[in-house]
Amino acid sequence: MIRTLRNPAVALGALCCTLFATGTALAQQDKGKAVYDKVCVACHSAGIAGAPRLGDAKAWAPRIKTGIDTLYGSALKGKAPAMPAKGGATDLPDADIKAAVDYMVAAAKDGGSGAAATAPAAAAPAAAAAAATKPRPAALSFNRLLKPASKRNPPPPEDGIHDPQNDGTHALQPPLQVFESLPRSNAGNRVDWVKALDNNLIAPRWDRTDPAAAPVVMDLNIVREVKGSMPDVVYPHKQHTAWLDCSNCHPQIFIPQKGANQISMAAILLGQKCGVCHGKVAFPVSECRICHSKKKNVMPVKNAQAN
Amino acid sequence: MRLRHPRAPWRSALALVAAVWIGSIGTSGEARAEYADVVINNYSDAAGMRPVIFPHWFHRIRFRCKVCHADLGFQFKAGGNEINMVKIIDGQFCGACHNGDIAWSVENCNLCHSGKPGTPTQVHESTIQKLAIQPQAGGQQ
Ligand code: HEC
Ligand code: HEC
Ligand code: HEC
Ligand code: HEC
Ligand code: HEC
Ligand code: HEC
Ligand code: HEC
Repeated sequence: MIRTLRNPAVALGALCCTLFATGTALAQQDKGKAVYDKVCVACHSAGIAGAPRLGDAKAWAPRIKTGIDTLYGSALKGKAPAMPAKGGATDLPDADIKAAVDYMVAAAKDGGSGAAATAPAAAAPAAAAAAATKPRPAALSFNRLLKPASKRNPPPPEDGIHDPQNDGTHALQPPLQVFESLPRSNAGNRVDWVKALDNNLIAPRWDRTDPAAAPVVMDLNIVREVKGSMPDVVYPHKQHTAWLDCSNCHPQIFIPQKGANQISMAAILLGQKCGVCHGKVAFPVSECRICHSKKKNVMPVKNAQAN
Repeated sequence: MRLRHPRAPWRSALALVAAVWIGSIGTSGEARAEYADVVINNYSDAAGMRPVIFPHWFHRIRFRCKVCHADLGFQFKAGGNEINMVKIIDGQFCGACHNGDIAWSVENCNLCHSGKPGTPTQVHESTIQKLAIQPQAGGQQ
C-alpha cells in the first residue's frame, strides 16, 4: 500500500522538479536580458570605450576562453580601464550581474541574435525545450505576409537601411527604447503622436532655440462629404496646427477655403494633398477610420428588413 | 511633381487602396527600417560617403514639423533640398542645429552618413514605396 502510494509521489516530485528547473532556467535568462537592457546596454551595444558588443562573436571569443569565472569577476569587480564594477549598478545583487554575463556570453555564442541562451540549468528538460524551440520551417509560420511584432521598430543596425559596418550606426538610439513609454498605434511608427503630444509625454519645440514658444492652435473642423459608403472625412485643424505652420499647407497644398480643393483617395495615395504627409511621416493611409470618422447622418433608405 | 495626375474614378482609387494593403503586409525582404526615415543620397555615393539617414521619429520628439519645414525651409521632398556640406557648415539645413550648440556638430560624420552604400533617396515605408512605384530619386535637378 505504502509502496504503491510512494511511486506516484516520486513521479510527481520529479515532474515538479522538472517544471521548476525549466522555470528557473527561463527566469534566469529573462533576468539576464532585463539587466543587460537596463544597465549594460549603455556600453555593450555600441561598443563604447572598447566594450565587446552584444552578439559580436569575434570580440567575445578570446574573453570566453578565459573562463566564465573570469568574466563574472570582471563584471562584478570591474575591469580597467573602462568596465565599471557591476556596470555601475552597484546596488544590484551579484546573481543579477552573473545572469547578465550569461546572457551576453550566450548571445556571443549565438553569433548575434541573442535569442538563444545557453540555459545552463536546463539539462533535465533539455529534450522538451529543444522540441519547443526548434525553428519551424518558414512556410509553416502563422503570418506569411504580415510583419510579425518582433520585426517591428528594429534597432538601426538590424533595420536593413543602416549600415551595420558603420560604427556610428551602433551609437544611434533604438526606437523601441523610446516608443515603449509612448502611446501605441496600429501603423506607421506605431506611436500615437497626437496622444503623445496631448498628454505631454513629449515636448517638441515650436521654435529652434526657445523651449517656451508655443503654437497658436486653431480648432476648426472641415467636413468633406464622401460619395459612396465610406464615412465622411473630418479634417481637424487642431491636431495639425499643433505640429505645423499654416504656411506648410496654405496655399501650396490647399487653398484655404472650404470645398475649394479637389481631394481624392487616388491623389492621397500618390502622395498629393493629405498624402503629402500621410503615408510618409504622419500616420499612413491604411488607417481609414482616423480620417473617415463621421458617420453619414442621412441614411439613404431605411432598410425594410427586421434586424 | 513628375507623377501624372490620375483622373481616376473611385474604383481605381479603391484598387490602389487594395494595393497599399497588400503592400503594407508584403514587406519587401529586409527593408524594415523605421517609418519616415529619410535616406538622402544625391551626392553621397558619388562622393564616396555612406548615404545620409534622417530619422523623423527622433527629431519630432524634439521639434515640431514647423521648425524645419517652415522656419528652416526644408521642402517636403526627400532629396529635394540640394543639401551639401558647405551649406551645413554655414548653418543651413542640418547645420542650423548640428553646430555644437543645439546638437552635436558636423565632425560626427558617421552618425548622419550611416546608410548602406547604394541605398537610393527615399522616404522609408512610404505609401508610394509600398505601391512599388519607385520614388523618383529626388533632386536630380
Ligand atoms: C560604462 C561602460 C560599461 C558598462 C555600463 C558595462 N560595461 Fe562591461 N565592459 C566595458 C568595457 C570598456 C569592457 C572592456 C574591458 C577591457 O577588456 O578592456 C567591458 C567588458 C566586459 C566583460 C568582459 C570582461 C573580460 O574579462 O573580458 C564583461 C563580461 C562585461 N563587460 C559585462 C558587463 C555587464 C554584465 C554589464 C552590465 C551589468 C556591463 N558589462 C556594463 C564597459 C562597460
Ligand atoms: C531643428 C534642429 C535640427 C535639425 C535641423 C537637424 N537635427 Fe539632427 N538632431 C537634432 C537634435 C537636438 C539631436 C539630438 C542631439 C543629442 O542627442 O545631443 C539630433 C540628432 C540627430 C541624429 C542622431 C539620432 C540618434 O539616434 O541619436 C541624427 C542621425 C541626426 N540628428 C541627423 C540629422 C540630419 C541628417 C539632419 C539634416 C538633414 C538633421 N539631423 C537636422 C536637431 C536637429
Ligand atoms: C495640414 C494642412 C493644414 C494646415 C497646417 C492648416 N490648414 Fe487650413 N485648411 C486645410 C484644409 C485641408 C482645408 C479645407 C480645404 C477644403 O475644404 O478644400 C483648410 C481650410 C482652411 C480655411 C477655410 C475654412 C472655410 O470654412 O472656408 C481657413 C480660413 C484656414 N484653413 C486657415 C488656416 C490657418 C489660419 C492655419 C494656421 C493656423 C491653417 N489653416 C493651417 C489644411 C490646413
Ligand atoms: C503637412 C502635413 C499634413 C497634411 C498635408 C495633412 N496632415 Fe493630417 N496630420 C499631420 C500630422 C503631423 C498629424 C499628427 C499625427 C501623426 O503624425 O500621425 C496629423 C493628424 C491628422 C489627424 C488626427 C489624428 C488623431 O489621432 O487625432 C487627422 C484626422 C488627419 N491628420 C487628417 C488629415 C486629412 C483628412 C488631410 C487632408 C485634407 C490631412 N490630414 C493632411 C500632417 C498632415
Ligand atoms: C489622411 C486621411 C485619409 C485616410 C487615411 C483615408 N482617406 Fe479616403 N478620403 C480622404 C479624403 C480627404 C477624401 C476626399 C473626400 C472628398 O471628396 O472631399 C477621401 C475619399 C475617399 C473615397 C471616395 C472616393 C475618392 O477617391 O475620393 C473613398 C472610397 C475612400 N476615401 C476610401 C478610403 C479607404 C478605404 C481608406 C483606408 C484604406 C481611406 N480612404 C483612408 C482622406 C483619407
Ligand atoms: C548633420 C548631419 C551630417 C553630418 C554630421 C555630416 N554630413 Fe555630410 N552630408 C549631410 C547631408 C544631408 C548631405 C547631402 C547628402 C546627399 O544628398 O547625398 C551630405 C553630403 C556630404 C557629401 C557630398 C556632398 C558634398 O558636400 O560634397 C560629402 C562628401 C560629405 N557629406 C562628407 C561629410 C564628412 C566628411 C562629414 C564629417 C566631417 C560629414 N559629411 C558630416 C549631412 C551630414
Ligand atoms: C529636424 C527637422 C525636421 C522635423 C522636425 C521634421 N522634418 Fe520632415 N523632413 C526633414 C528632412 C531633413 C527631410 C528630407 C528633406 C530632403 O531630403 O532634402 C524631410 C522630409 C519630409 C517630407 C517629404 C517626404 C517626401 O515626400 O519625400 C515630409 C512630408 C515631411 N518631412 C513631413 C514632416 C512632418 C509632418 C513633420 C512633423 C511631424 C516633420 N516632417 C518634421 C526634416 C524635418
